[in-house]
Amino acid sequence: MRFWPRSAVCIWLAGVVAAIAVISRTEFTADLSAFLPRSPSPAQQILVEQLRDGVVSRLILIGIEGGATERLAQASQRLAASLRAQDNFVSVNNGEESGFETDREYLWENRYLLSPAMTPEHFTARGLRHSLEEDLRLLATPAGMLLRRTLPSDPGGELMRLLEQLEGQTRPSIRHGVWFSGDGARALLLAQTRAAGYDIDAQERTLARIRGAFAEAAGGGEAKLLLTGPGVFSVTIRERIRNDAWKFSLVATVLIGAMLWALYRSPRAVGLGLLPVASGALAGIAAVSLGFGSVHGITLGFGVTLIGEGVDYAIYLFTQIAPGTAPRTTFDRIWPTLRLGVLTSLCGFSAMLFSGFNGLAQLGLFSMAGLVAAAAVTRWVLPELLPPGFAVPAVTAFAPGVMSLVGRAPLLRVPLLVMVALACVLLMAQREPIWSDDLSSLSPVSPDEQRLDQRLRTDIGAPDVRHLVIVRAKDEETALQGSERVAAALRRAVRQGWLEGFDSPAGFLPSQATQRARQAALPEPGALRKNLHEALRGLPFRARAFEPFLEEAAAARSMPPVDRGSLQGTSLALKLDSLLSKRQDGVVAMLPLRGVSNSGAISGEIGKVPGLEFTVLDLKRESDDLYRSYRREALTFSLMGAAAIIVLLFASLRAPRRVFEVLAPLAAAVVVTLGMLVLGGHRLSIFHLVGLLLVVAVGSNYSLFFERQALSDRDRERTIVSLLFANVSTVIGFGLLALSKVPVLNAIGSTVGAGAILTLVFSAILIGRGPAGRLP
Amino acid sequence: MTVNARSFSAPPMFSAAVLAVGLSIASGAGAQTDAGPMWGVEQLMQTLRQVKSARGRFTERKYMAILSTPLELSGTLVYAAPGHLEKHTVRPNPESLVLDRDELTIESKDGNRSRTLALRDYPVLWAFVESIRSTLAGDLQTLNRFYRVGLRGGQSQWRLVLTPSEPKMQGVVREIQLGGSGDWVNVIEVLETSGDRSVMTISRDDS
Repeated sequence: MRFWPRSAVCIWLAGVVAAIAVISRTEFTADLSAFLPRSPSPAQQILVEQLRDGVVSRLILIGIEGGATERLAQASQRLAASLRAQDNFVSVNNGEESGFETDREYLWENRYLLSPAMTPEHFTARGLRHSLEEDLRLLATPAGMLLRRTLPSDPGGELMRLLEQLEGQTRPSIRHGVWFSGDGARALLLAQTRAAGYDIDAQERTLARIRGAFAEAAGGGEAKLLLTGPGVFSVTIRERIRNDAWKFSLVATVLIGAMLWALYRSPRAVGLGLLPVASGALAGIAAVSLGFGSVHGITLGFGVTLIGEGVDYAIYLFTQIAPGTAPRTTFDRIWPTLRLGVLTSLCGFSAMLFSGFNGLAQLGLFSMAGLVAAAAVTRWVLPELLPPGFAVPAVTAFAPGVMSLVGRAPLLRVPLLVMVALACVLLMAQREPIWSDDLSSLSPVSPDEQRLDQRLRTDIGAPDVRHLVIVRAKDEETALQGSERVAAALRRAVRQGWLEGFDSPAGFLPSQATQRARQAALPEPGALRKNLHEALRGLPFRARAFEPFLEEAAAARSMPPVDRGSLQGTSLALKLDSLLSKRQDGVVAMLPLRGVSNSGAISGEIGKVPGLEFTVLDLKRESDDLYRSYRREALTFSLMGAAAIIVLLFASLRAPRRVFEVLAPLAAAVVVTLGMLVLGGHRLSIFHLVGLLLVVAVGSNYSLFFERQALSDRDRERTIVSLLFANVSTVIGFGLLALSKVPVLNAIGSTVGAGAILTLVFSAILIGRGPAGRLP
Repeated sequence: MTVNARSFSAPPMFSAAVLAVGLSIASGAGAQTDAGPMWGVEQLMQTLRQVKSARGRFTERKYMAILSTPLELSGTLVYAAPGHLEKHTVRPNPESLVLDRDELTIESKDGNRSRTLALRDYPVLWAFVESIRSTLAGDLQTLNRFYRVGLRGGQSQWRLVLTPSEPKMQGVVREIQLGGSGDWVNVIEVLETSGDRSVMTISRDDS
């Protein structure tokens, strides 16, 4: 028995060392993947992958504004040149023609393999006649100037056709040779990083490189650098959460430390009072790291919230030590209640552990591990380390006032019931749903930053892709063939007006089968000459004008087909990577759609193509659905947690009346807090829900202690004063979070701050006890 | 293949033109002699600047290496100072080009297709457009930006010779000549680097 306490301290120290060792090797992430389910559907899988390391996640949109267009253009050229020289970037595009020339060359060299017009009819006498008449018409227009140069080699107009196909998307306008926004206020660049979007450390380094290169390129002028894109967001979010979490943790620690100093008057006790919190946070992070392989920034930000809860345990212990008794004897009295409080909290959080969503599950595990560690340290480690004879003198000073307030509190029962009823009416009368279904409501990215992102995207002509057709196949060739068949269906849908246009990887890299078919559609040289001769009859073209065409068409019959490698050095290579991606079980081709007006009809049209494994994906709907199901699941789990708490209380208290007394203040506080949030204009997110769980976790301690049968009036006084101290520390910890601009922290802070006060006050009002805690 | 004019709705301009023609007849020799020491590019531009609006009919012949006979187009032109120019081709295929400030809208009647281009994005097209528009507007500054400007002849029969100064434009166009008398432009000849050329003659449209 004598060795038991010492070994508790040793075990604790070993635990701290182990946790630190785990944490030092932990990877911290901040991407959106935390909001994605652990067992996603194929569509969600693609969503996740695109967000994590798809080409989209690697794009950084750069704007340079402020100053004369010439200066901006110069800065853009210098910045692009400097970034292209670094190996952090796959490509840096600013509209300078270097890239487009190679694209054009690729299209020109391989026009007979790439042109969708290449059917056997195309180069018959009739087909040629039709093309030549069209050429004649075009020669008379401004386009004729360009056409004239290619016409002798390309009377079929393949190049024009291919260029038009690529030009479908809007491109930024060009001034002084580089991309500019329509109003000329911003020079624009588009960089693709080598690092994946989820690799925030690498993204952060890349951003630093861009800023450095810009400082040199701009030469200290008035020009300003604008950066946006998924990588930029990830870095900002992590930075912001880290900052806020760190800043508020620090301030909360100082404030709570000051409060504890005022109460304990012992530096050692103050230090010890923070021990459970610190241990809990370490245990929480380590547990999540071990359980999930990485820790999300949001989970980490959540760590700060443990301060409020963990400090409580030490306060309960310290404040309730009767003068002249050993700490361990205090536990003889309060441990059963405290243990029940811990178990109640665990029930509340355990539901989250089973969530299919990483983010929630991480929060659940973090909280549970943290609470268990904090409670264990309080129970077994603190009593060993407290100075002998420790007691909190302040209790005597506070007790009379507090007790008189508590004594009169039950008078407020009727007003409280009215308040709860009003809150219920308010919540039910809400016309708009009280829950926000917009995923972006969770995003710590400020509206300003979202607007900047939107503006640069519009400028650069890269609007958010919303609709995609996904074709899954076993290999690249099959995927490209599938894309071609989908494209044929989509062309019909375009004619029906169901969408404006689309992009397809097969548009610039056709399947080998299609390329062979196109080659086969080229007539042998003698026949082609005869067809051309016939087609030219009566037209004003010179007889031998098309010799280059005859030669090149003959050569194209035996040219090697193009493949991925042929695109090397073109901007099309980049595009192909984004539209055609390999994965473990095959290849996925993506066809982004533009201007969709009837996605149902489009699905129907593609559905008519036999033997195709495809999905028409609406990214916005998909992510909103995802978020809705995330929230629904959290709500379900919270209710299950509540049910578990009720079962637990019945099992421990064994009297319906006692269970009711413990639960009533909690339920009332939850309802009134919700009402206050809604009244304050908040659309509730999942983190408000998490906040409510915390209210229940923290608040259950209050109502349990209030409900506890005290041994004496002194005992009850000390108990209730300890609740007050605990409450103040919780409110300090969470109230500060409400000042954070990060929606996650703000939601939890404002919910728990308000909820904790309400629970304590409601406990005082609803749980009436006579002087020595006798049931009235 | 010459003659022509932007027909002007402003009578004073008309009389100025008559006066100019009269002067050239009086001097009896046209091109070489009527250019007094005071007449030059500046004066021509000054004269052209007076014109506020004009309408004309055009016939354009395009001579191309690839064709055995030239393409012939005809239609109407509308000008409003300083920057608005419309070219409505009627034959052989209806098509409209409308130039307003720095935007060019191309509309082909048969396909019902319309496309608007920002001139800044197409430097060659821009240079080409300015050869005509800046001349009509008497905007020497803009002309100088894109071309070396030369002038032959005199007030009654002048020929403005524009040689592109930008490498990109030089790759396409060797020379643009605009001929006219007084404040009327009656012929536009474009010599391309490839050897192809086009000649547009413009006559007054009084309708």
